[in-house]
Amino acid sequence: MKKTNTFKKALIYIIIGLLSITFILPFIWMLRSSLMELQQIFIMPPQWIPNPVKLENYIHALTIVPFALYFKNTMIILILGMVGTLITSTLSAYSFARLRWKGRDFWFKVILTSMMLPGAVTLIPQFLGWNALGMVGSFVPLIVPAFFGGGAFNIFLLRQFYMSIPLELDEAAIVDGASFFRIYTSIILPLSRSAIIVIAIFSFMFYWNDFMGPLIYLTDESKYTLAIGLQMFQGAYNTRWEELMAASTSIILPCVLIFIIGQKYFLEGITMSGLKG
Amino acid sequence: MKKAFRLISAILMIFIVFNVLLTGCGNNASSMDDKAAASETAQAAASSPEKAQNSEPVKLKFTYWASPDEKKIYDAAAKKYADSTNGRVTIDSQCIPSDYDTKLTAMIAGNNAPDVAMMESATITFPLAEQGKLMNLKQFTDKDSSVNFDTLVPNITYWSDKDNLIGIAPGPEMFLLYYNKDMFQAAGVEPPPSKYSDAWTWDEFVEIAKKLTIDQSGKNATQEGFDPKKIKQYGVNGFTGWWGAWGNFIYGNGGDFVTKDGKFGLSQPEATEALQKIADLVNVYHVHPGPVQLKSMPGSDQALLTKKVAMVLDGQWSNLSIAMAKVNYGVGVLPKLKENTTTMVVCGMFSVFKSTKYPDESWALIKALIDPESTMELNKGGAWMPSLKSYYTEPELIDKWATGTARPEGYKDAAIDMMLNHSITGPTFYVKNYNKIMDIANPALDKVWLGQQSAADAMKAIEEKAQAQVQGRRD
Amino acid sequence: MSGLSGDVISGKQTIRNKKVKSNEQFFGILFALPAILGFLIFVLGPMIASLIYSFTDYSLFNKPTFIGLQNYKDFFSGTDPFFYKSLLVTFYYVLLNVPATIIFSFFIALLLNNEIKGRPLFRAIFYLPSIVPAVASAMIWMWLLNPDLGLVNNILSALHLPTSQWLFAEKSVIPSVVLTGLWTTGGTMVIFLAGLSGIPTVYYEAVEIDGGNSFHKFFNVTLPMVSPTIFFNTIMAIISSFQVFTQAYILTQGGPNNASLFYVFLLWREGFKNTRMGYASALAWILFIIILLLTMLTFRSSNSLVYYEGERKNS
Repeated sequence: MKKTNTFKKALIYIIIGLLSITFILPFIWMLRSSLMELQQIFIMPPQWIPNPVKLENYIHALTIVPFALYFKNTMIILILGMVGTLITSTLSAYSFARLRWKGRDFWFKVILTSMMLPGAVTLIPQFLGWNALGMVGSFVPLIVPAFFGGGAFNIFLLRQFYMSIPLELDEAAIVDGASFFRIYTSIILPLSRSAIIVIAIFSFMFYWNDFMGPLIYLTDESKYTLAIGLQMFQGAYNTRWEELMAASTSIILPCVLIFIIGQKYFLEGITMSGLKG
Repeated sequence: MKKAFRLISAILMIFIVFNVLLTGCGNNASSMDDKAAASETAQAAASSPEKAQNSEPVKLKFTYWASPDEKKIYDAAAKKYADSTNGRVTIDSQCIPSDYDTKLTAMIAGNNAPDVAMMESATITFPLAEQGKLMNLKQFTDKDSSVNFDTLVPNITYWSDKDNLIGIAPGPEMFLLYYNKDMFQAAGVEPPPSKYSDAWTWDEFVEIAKKLTIDQSGKNATQEGFDPKKIKQYGVNGFTGWWGAWGNFIYGNGGDFVTKDGKFGLSQPEATEALQKIADLVNVYHVHPGPVQLKSMPGSDQALLTKKVAMVLDGQWSNLSIAMAKVNYGVGVLPKLKENTTTMVVCGMFSVFKSTKYPDESWALIKALIDPESTMELNKGGAWMPSLKSYYTEPELIDKWATGTARPEGYKDAAIDMMLNHSITGPTFYVKNYNKIMDIANPALDKVWLGQQSAADAMKAIEEKAQAQVQGRRD
Repeated sequence: MSGLSGDVISGKQTIRNKKVKSNEQFFGILFALPAILGFLIFVLGPMIASLIYSFTDYSLFNKPTFIGLQNYKDFFSGTDPFFYKSLLVTFYYVLLNVPATIIFSFFIALLLNNEIKGRPLFRAIFYLPSIVPAVASAMIWMWLLNPDLGLVNNILSALHLPTSQWLFAEKSVIPSVVLTGLWTTGGTMVIFLAGLSGIPTVYYEAVEIDGGNSFHKFFNVTLPMVSPTIFFNTIMAIISSFQVFTQAYILTQGGPNNASLFYVFLLWREGFKNTRMGYASALAWILFIIILLLTMLTFRSSNSLVYYEGERKNS
């Protein structure tokens, strides 16, 4: 028994190790390019050690575009957007997964259809709507939709998770006289922590990297976000690859950190705490 | 409960209707406002002398795309103009680094078009002009003493028809044959000529490209036992792929993209002959990388620097990156086919939207943006060429920009003389429905470069489909 | 005595149940209201607008004229030379990509769900390609899959296995795009991980007590317990695969010879490059119907395959 276990473990390590190498390649390529001279980046087959190490790339990349300002703008959109998404998507999904009401399944399916029409054709009508309301140029079109359900993807994902939580928990709570809202806050939310973390990670990535939304709706350069700033490095005549990669590395590092921190809090086996609570 | 449900449904219906109406109205409003704006601008143009004296504050919206370095130069040029008006004019400039067309489309659809915009000929500019959204700049050039057709360098203006000038470029761009001097010296071969009259014939060019194509055992393409599967160094690159590159030779062989009598030009013998000659560089002589090898070929600057190729056909703008890479290089004119050597001009442009309330100030801003002095850093740095003819003819003005590392040996002949005296406009200047035609031609050309089909066969095969998209010429 | 009190209790319960039910209707709608309003305000209007555009010659700059079904006729009759080709290419891609994505990311998630050292780090590594800018990833793929100099072909030929032209031949381009796509399935993997982490450990212990092995654990516990997640990821993979655009655009630009001309790329080209928004809208609605039908079909067939511990059917 023991032997097969160690053998199994070793096999898992080997497979994960080998796959990890291929998966980390693009990141390494970006990182080492960000520290190189332009000439060295495209040598084939790739060279992996920068020589000389050019830290100046970072200094130049981070000063040529007003990144501090763009960071502030990004954070405003990101924090408000995440708050809206997390509150309304968890609440809506709770209703779709665990409450019974007339029209529930109809509305759920209708909301799903919003993912099926290519964004290219709804972009302009959407813009015209915000334009008619006089909101173009502000952060409002970027933030407010998050407070209205936070997107079909999140609602659907949460619904799937909620539906895996044993029903007896709700029923027991109802008998105890708990309100639906109380069930949502004290049973559903704690037991679907993993899924909520996934949504928090995804919505962080979305607002951090969203380029099209800010580009279309913002009209003033002082309101630009990091993602727009990053695009500037891909010039019309030539791309300064070393600076593009330095800027890219700086921008994705927070994402990596958020991810590592976030997924640490995945639930590991829910029942022990769940059924007793 | 039922009542509450009904009430909610009613509210929702109102939302829907409201939404649909809003999106619908946006358009109507915009078309009405356009008319109003159009008549206003007509008046404004008529009464421009008084208007110019007006001291009411003016805010111009200006959109463009740029790298961070270029952005600084545009912003400075715009500011210089704004300062010259003693604060009467302020400029709200917005750099849109990518998806420019999408953003601009949204702005226009939302009835919020900029006053002045940088535009590109192959995308939405002509559709906009055909819908009457762009101002005819001829009214300004006719009267202007400093920017007009006598002072502008040739081939940098875009016309939607014979009398409607829709855009002026901040400068021309054209094509050069870049070469690595060290590689020519090592092979003991004469470098490409830079003078118009000395241009290589195609056969001379192929012979020299062969001598500079070397396999891993050190044999060049003229020698016995040369292995075309293991090429270390190519003689030439940059002829296939983008129409801007091979297009030069369509004209050089007397062909055209769409003929004067309205036929799809690329299937005509003059064009297929030129295309075949280029494909032969890849598949017969092995002196030019094919589509597969090209994917691992870096940009021109790195390819020349790392001695992967000896000669590269590329746009004038590449002087910037090649000089920055510190390549020991020179430039020559393109080899000639049936006709004398030539070069296409390709360039962006600045346009004024008809919806502007301030046509005179918009024109003044364009003048500031295309002024070679305000963009001198780009002109001298290698990316751009000046927009005014005097910078090509008067020695002291030439010296202002055509010297330094980004203006190498041969530049004055191969670039300045060619641009001024032997250049022609590229197809996006005058071919209607250009994108749709090329959507059909490009996939077929893939096969030609891969050597799967002859140019004549490939073009014949799509001739009918392409002809269906031909809608004539603007000139 | 006891019977009487029992009746009283059950009577109380039905009253409570009724109250709960009407309460449930109210709170159900109330809690779902943000999402419903969100759909009606931000999604439905633009959807209807695009449907209306699809019957016009709208270019975004002109006043649209109603042209009936002309746009739809144009592509079904073959006037548009790219419509059927791109539809075929896209279907082929979806057919390969959906199973490949699901199986691969599930496999990785299972591996990473084991008790191993440095698990947070490994999870991050597998998620990395999803957040690295596509241009950087594209560079790596161009190197790995280069037919002459690429690492993959070099390894294959060293092992005396057949090599491929990968992204550069009409036949192999779509499978190659699918292969490169496996790299960016980090999001799907994370969702699987979240699903796996929610499986109560008691179930595994129960299998062990019954003398079951890992095989039994997988088929009797893991698979049914993550079936809602598999279902979710499958639906999302179908929806997103039909709308594939960016990755292929950067890698192949639709080539060679239109072999990777994806539907949404064609649509985008018509809408924004050729300014035919009416026509692009018509294309979009055809895709909408295709995706809708396939999603409905998947929902139907899922009833017997997906196990929900806490499902409440709407009665």
